Amino acid sequence: MVKVLIDGVEVEVEPNSTILEAAEKAGLKIPTLCYFPGLFVEATCRVCVVELSGTGRLVPSCVFPVSDRLSVETDNVRVREARRIALEAILATHRIACQSCPRKGACKLLELCREYGVEGIPVCAECLLYGGDCLLTREEACLGPITNAGCDGVCLREGKPCVGCRGPIVSRDTVREAVKLYVGYGVSLDMVLSRFSVYNSSQPDYCRIVKLLSNLAEEERHNQGV
Amino acid sequence: MGANQWSLMDKCCDLCRHSSETPCRSYITCAVEGPLCHDNIECREKRRFRISEIKNGRNGLKISIGMGSCGLAVGARGVYDATLRELERRGLEASVIPVGCIGLCYMEPLLEIHKDGLPTAIYGRVEPRSVGEILDTYLEGDVSGASALRNRVGTAKGELEVPLLDEIDFLRYQVRWVTRNCGIANPESIEDYIVYDGYRGLVRALESKPEDVIEIVRKAGLRGRGGAGFPTWLKWSICRRAEGLPKYVVCNADEGDPGAFMNRMLAEADPHRVLEGLIIAAYAIGASYGYIFVRAEKPLMADRLERAAEDARRYGILGHNILDSEFSFDVEVIRSAGAFVCGEETAMLAAIEGGRAMPRQRPPYPATHGLFGKPTVINNVETLAHVATIMSDGWEKFASYGTGGSKGTKVFCITGSAARTGAVEVPIGITVRELIFKVAGGVREGRRFKAVQIGGPSGGCLPENMLDLPMDYESLTSAGAIMGSGGLIVIDDRNCIVDIARFFTSFTMAESCGKCIPCRVGSKILYDTLTRIIEGGGSEDDLRILEEVGTFMKNASLCALGQTAPNPILSTLRYFRDEYEAHIKMKECPAKVCSKLVSYAIEGGLCVGCGLCAKQCPVQAITKSGERLYHIDASRCIRCGQCIIVCPRNAISRR
Ligand SMILES: Cc1cc2nc3c(=O)[nH]c(=O)nc-3n(C[C@H](O)[C@H](O)[C@H](O)COP(=O)(O)O)c2cc1C
Ligand code: SF4
Ligand code: SF4
Ligand code: FES
Repeated sequence: MVKVLIDGVEVEVEPNSTILEAAEKAGLKIPTLCYFPGLFVEATCRVCVVELSGTGRLVPSCVFPVSDRLSVETDNVRVREARRIALEAILATHRIACQSCPRKGACKLLELCREYGVEGIPVCAECLLYGGDCLLTREEACLGPITNAGCDGVCLREGKPCVGCRGPIVSRDTVREAVKLYVGYGVSLDMVLSRFSVYNSSQPDYCRIVKLLSNLAEEERHNQGV
Repeated sequence: MGANQWSLMDKCCDLCRHSSETPCRSYITCAVEGPLCHDNIECREKRRFRISEIKNGRNGLKISIGMGSCGLAVGARGVYDATLRELERRGLEASVIPVGCIGLCYMEPLLEIHKDGLPTAIYGRVEPRSVGEILDTYLEGDVSGASALRNRVGTAKGELEVPLLDEIDFLRYQVRWVTRNCGIANPESIEDYIVYDGYRGLVRALESKPEDVIEIVRKAGLRGRGGAGFPTWLKWSICRRAEGLPKYVVCNADEGDPGAFMNRMLAEADPHRVLEGLIIAAYAIGASYGYIFVRAEKPLMADRLERAAEDARRYGILGHNILDSEFSFDVEVIRSAGAFVCGEETAMLAAIEGGRAMPRQRPPYPATHGLFGKPTVINNVETLAHVATIMSDGWEKFASYGTGGSKGTKVFCITGSAARTGAVEVPIGITVRELIFKVAGGVREGRRFKAVQIGGPSGGCLPENMLDLPMDYESLTSAGAIMGSGGLIVIDDRNCIVDIARFFTSFTMAESCGKCIPCRVGSKILYDTLTRIIEGGGSEDDLRILEEVGTFMKNASLCALGQTAPNPILSTLRYFRDEYEAHIKMKECPAKVCSKLVSYAIEGGLCVGCGLCAKQCPVQAITKSGERLYHIDASRCIRCGQCIIVCPRNAISRR
């Protein structure tokens, strides 16, 4: 057995354990995304990084072996920062169409993004109507697809269309996904824009997004032959 | 050389009992200094004659032609054929041998002539049709046309006007330690290698205990030349103590950095030295099998190493019971599929095992868990060549070069805008300035020095005021560059730093294996951000993104490819931030390289209306606008810069 210090908590573990296993034993939770013992343990997502105390070195806890008197920090500023950027990087290559994702909100990635303050995920990701009776199917001009998630607000619980109070998502790809939905469901873009202006017209990106929305809508209508 | 001729590797008479089945301990020494087990004047004479023939050529006439990849690329094959032809025409018998590159890439193809009684002369930039004339004038005793001489004897015409090889700036500051045979010995002949003191290190190692070999390498202070600079003895001793059999050694010859060719040059010019180092390493750690992993794009290097292994095997220097030492070891040459990441040690092991070349998280390190899960040592070509040389010449000499923490010599490759490009071997610790301005002769004429990228795409870019930095592992790392494999790319004032940073990033982005998120996505984010800046769409925020994502990659990537990929960006942000800011704030490229940020215009007073530019312009953006005046339509211009090149009056300006 070897002794290791995890965030100052001393635990005894088998010599060939990983830091992650030691942390579990210490009762600490380290987030993981690509760790599936027995199936896939290749340390590719780097969300589980922790810092080796005193060295500034970040290592993936899911595979990194412990050694005697090893001391690690699992939640300092540098670690949180690295995790946030890792999540942002994953999202950067992710098609954020939560509306049509079969996992229907049961998504570890989203959970972690919320925990680490990653922006750019639409309200649809946490909508209570998710997958059920989406308001867009009733041609309501809900701003969910282009608004930042995280409000957990009354509109969601009441089944009311989103008014965009958390501010718009500026990523072009997300807006494109949203426009596809609007045009596909036949939601009036004028309605969307007028609703959008209520809370967002003072946003620095307001004009840009309006323009983007209109342009993309034009393109989409053309593509869908509407 | 006749095929049936007696060679030093053969038995001198029936009394010699060495063969690969019945090896003799003294074989190597005996081949040159023998015979040792019997005395016979004929056997001794045979050796003396053959050694002199190898050193001075048949009939005292020897012609060596630089036929490394660099020489071949500029036509050395034609020079070789022409030499044979011209000799035949004159009825002269001589040895004509292909040799490796001595590093004078800017002077290739090189032809060296030696005739007993005359100074040995080297001719640079030789063309096949000038070979005959060179031969004639040289044999008449006139060396005035040579580029350099190896020695002076005072008998030839024009001897004093031609510099000695050691007096040429490019070579004067060098220490030819590990590259000593480059350009001298025939790399395809094991006999040559043995005449030039080869395999003596192996003999010495086999006479010592493995632990003592490791101790000698420790005392020498040798550190890995493949990039990370890990102490070689430590790696060996960890592997020696590790449990598990068999053990393996791997020679990393997957040299893939743009601008680095020192491994290729060494292995092409002196493959036996690399092989000897590998056998010594195997002996030291107790390995029974080895691999030489060669980049398939460097086929000559693979061929030469393969041939070296075959020859060594034939004469009992490789295989079962090597030189009667009871140590057995064999190697196999593997040609890699050619991805940059194959050079990363764990990826290389995966490739040798037959898998896809993707790195894995270390620890465990290969020294304990390597090839097929067994203890494995991976060493670079140059590291191994140093091992052979240290074992033959002693660690004291090696350790007398270099600085406190970085001993010995290192081969650097100088490319880019340097006046003289090529590979040079210098003591570690020489300053960057000495290397660029003394050895390489500064930047090409008409240009100004701007920066130097040290360590390839994983390295950093240093400005003028950092040039007094000593080239050792620690100093370079602290300045944001790395020793890496030792490539220096000299950048002149016609280059845009942001554009250069993007070039290196595009390389790492393409070569990222894609396994881990920081490198796979991070390099793309960096590339896209730089592209935005270069195309004039950058904002202040982009510099923050570069720094944030760059630091993240450095800290969180799985292997050193991703960890070092942001170095070119982070170092240029440190030393050339104003150039980034000019692109972002002023939408201006100070070096006038980034095409979206420059515009072309014709100055009315200078244009004479010749119309050449209009003919050259690929998109017809230039039209006649007056009697003696042409005009560029900015909205059609694609900023290719062709018009500037053709205008005879310098009437076109780039802004
Ligand atoms: C992307 C990448 C490419 C590499 N390429 C090479 C290479 O071409 N040659 C080499 O010797 N080492 C290369 N290395 C370093 C090796 O992983 C390893 O450190 C080295 O071969 C160890 O040998 P040494 O101790 O003799 O330097 C590379 C490393 C990385 C991360
Ligand atoms: S850092 Fe890059 S090359 Fe290395 S494992 Fe990660 S993706 Fe592959
Ligand atoms: S090439 Fe030069 S001189 Fe001739 S028309 Fe063009 S700008 Fe005028
Ligand atoms: S969980 Fe993905 S790297 Fe550890």
